[in-house]
Amino acid sequence: MKKSNLLAEYGALVALILLFVINVATRGGNFLQIENLRNLVSQNAAVGVIAVGMTLVIIAGGIDLSVGSLTAMCGAVSILVINKFAASGMNPNLAIMLASLGAIAIGALAGLFNGIVVAYGRVAAFVVTLGGLAGFRSIALVLGNGGEIRSQSPALQDFGFGGMAIPFAKDAGGGPVLFYWSAIVFVAIALIGGFLLNRTRFGRYIIAVGANPRASEYSAINIQTVRLAVYTLLGALVGLASVLVAARMNSVGTGSVGLYYELDAIAAVVIGGTSLRGGKGRIWGTVVGVLLLTLISNMITAYHIDTNWQGLVRGIVILVAVLIQRGKKEDE
Amino acid sequence: MEFPAVRALDGVSIAFESGEVHGIVGENGAGKSTLMKILSGVQHPTSGNILIDGQPVSLSGVREALRRGIAMIHQELNLVDELTVAENVYLGREITKGGVLDRAKMIEATDKTLAEIHASFPASIKVGGLSIASKQLVEIAKAVAVDASILIMDEPTAVLSDPEADSLFELIARLKARGTTILYISHRLTEVCAICDRITVLRDGAWIATVPAKQANPAELAGLMVGRDLGDFYPPKIPSPNAGPILEIDNICGASFSVRPGEILGLAGLVGAGRTELAEAIVGARPHSGGEIRLSGTRIKIRSTKEAMKHGIAYVSEDRKALGLHLSLNAIQNTTLANLNAYGKVVPNRTTERSSTETWKKEFDIRVGDLDAPVISMSGGNQQKIAIAKWLETKPKVLILDEPTRGVDVGAKREMYNLILRLATEGMACIVISSELPEIIGLCHRAIIMREGKVMGELKDEQLSEEAVMRLAAGVLAA
Repeated sequence: MKKSNLLAEYGALVALILLFVINVATRGGNFLQIENLRNLVSQNAAVGVIAVGMTLVIIAGGIDLSVGSLTAMCGAVSILVINKFAASGMNPNLAIMLASLGAIAIGALAGLFNGIVVAYGRVAAFVVTLGGLAGFRSIALVLGNGGEIRSQSPALQDFGFGGMAIPFAKDAGGGPVLFYWSAIVFVAIALIGGFLLNRTRFGRYIIAVGANPRASEYSAINIQTVRLAVYTLLGALVGLASVLVAARMNSVGTGSVGLYYELDAIAAVVIGGTSLRGGKGRIWGTVVGVLLLTLISNMITAYHIDTNWQGLVRGIVILVAVLIQRGKKEDE
Repeated sequence: MEFPAVRALDGVSIAFESGEVHGIVGENGAGKSTLMKILSGVQHPTSGNILIDGQPVSLSGVREALRRGIAMIHQELNLVDELTVAENVYLGREITKGGVLDRAKMIEATDKTLAEIHASFPASIKVGGLSIASKQLVEIAKAVAVDASILIMDEPTAVLSDPEADSLFELIARLKARGTTILYISHRLTEVCAICDRITVLRDGAWIATVPAKQANPAELAGLMVGRDLGDFYPPKIPSPNAGPILEIDNICGASFSVRPGEILGLAGLVGAGRTELAEAIVGARPHSGGEIRLSGTRIKIRSTKEAMKHGIAYVSEDRKALGLHLSLNAIQNTTLANLNAYGKVVPNRTTERSSTETWKKEFDIRVGDLDAPVISMSGGNQQKIAIAKWLETKPKVLILDEPTRGVDVGAKREMYNLILRLATEGMACIVISSELPEIIGLCHRAIIMREGKVMGELKDEQLSEEAVMRLAAGVLAA
């Protein structure tokens, strides 16, 4: 493999390691402490879960701009359901469980809607989901009267800050370091997503449809079903992600939750080396992409750089990632 | 240009004389395309020189090559369908007057060029509405408009009907008379011998011979191309089976015919006779109304390629690159794609996927080192074998092969014929769509001849001759 190919293949990983090396050199590697690593994984777990689904949609040759607004809509629904059940005296954990399923179902339905219009209405995914970007946010605002919906159930926040104790790790006070549930969900979804893409028949069809939809049709693949399925799956993952966000904040600000999630998710997918043209991509790259974007924003905070620069730095990282990928194409 | 493992061209030196038609032949992978890409400035040689009129030149890009008078007409035409003929001809070098496009002048000049090459359409119409043959003329007009002294044509007749090809040959003769040098790449050896002055044979990236066309004949050229004696080109025919029909087509797209198990049925006709459309309608890839399809006597409905597959009817497309294969996927993924279900409903077993692809590889002598490499890197013949293997995986009873030897080199063609014969011997009903008459005659038991979407007639056994097929295909009714 040529040097430039190696860079294109593992560029995001190299960048991630480089940032850690810089941290070790300048701050003695405080980012490598177990708590900070834990934070790195859990901080953007919701975006990570969405990005895994987005990877599949993009490999199948599509795109979804509605995920941020849909997060707000599903989050609003989940808290409304929890409050309703909490008022009726139901076991709070059961209420959370039911609300999560509700949010996932609503998300899947919204994704199915996107998928139907894309697959059968033959409208460009960009346009369909741009409609969703505007529409789902609007529904969320209506549900929350334009403001924040607060959870009435303390159990929700317990879930948001709960997790599994990391073995042998102790925090400054000698207490256990928890690997938050959100991080566990992110890791699990990434593993399932990777398996789905690389090992299952459905995953092979996703790649085939993205690489060449017409040839797939001629190979007896129902391409409409595949498209429908990836959008629905992404919608369901957005529903799941919305619960993670709601649990963390114990509320959903219908105007602010999920803002720019679509951009973060797509950025992570692209940085991770998945082709925006479809037909080629990988889940682990997307995970590295999410971690890289998180690490960059953490470093900007930790190094007391004016946070207003954050957007520019992200923009540059995305551009560089795409340029390296393009270099790879020319080599082939 | 050096590819990772392959040196596509090795120390080839050829001198082209001005005003000659120089044929370049060779199997796929012989280095023809690489040579042409270097001459037209698309690729850069790692060593060696290009001399024009004795002066070494460096062709840094297509623009530079064009400036030196070298124009290339690609197999896949590079025209913008949405623009007019004149706009295409002047694309990138528009005539302006005070910063504004001078349309009238461009149309006038283009009309003049079109008249020069005897094109019958005006410069002001959109290219999208033209036939393939006319589009080719637009490409030639582009070259003539810039006064190209060297014109490279890559398989220009592959997409033309015989009368269209004939008028192209006349045009080539006229261009030659004007002093234009023409490099003519083609797989059709008969036409190369007929229209060229000299012919160069390439094999495995090396120069083999340059012979005067007058002294060359197709058989000898074919021998030079493959470096071995081809013997009888078509395998001996097996007797026609006399079982009852397995597939009966009744008034689908206006065509009716039937095919028996073990039979090789040809669908002959000129390009545009509606054969591909008919085949696509049969396998459900193209919507159609009316008519009836019967399988072993039972009426069936096919609305998608998936349903066709379930009924045991498979279609291998003529457009291998766009429809037949996924070029970015590897050999294994392509081979098992249509039949992936059989390797596991949810999680396909990768080990059996690999081993059955290995089996096809051995069986069909697919020459590919790495089954994990994208099939785009494979030669046309090997790609075609994968495309066929993909459908044999589904164990079809009826196999429809659309132009199975298009873009396939001489050696692989012969293997393809043997393969089809073997499938028929094993009892498969094979329908072969081909625009090459010798193929229909040499391979098929029986042929249906189509013209403008209609079945013109049926010929079998001794009746099957090039002349008889051509008469029906061209609409000259036999007495």
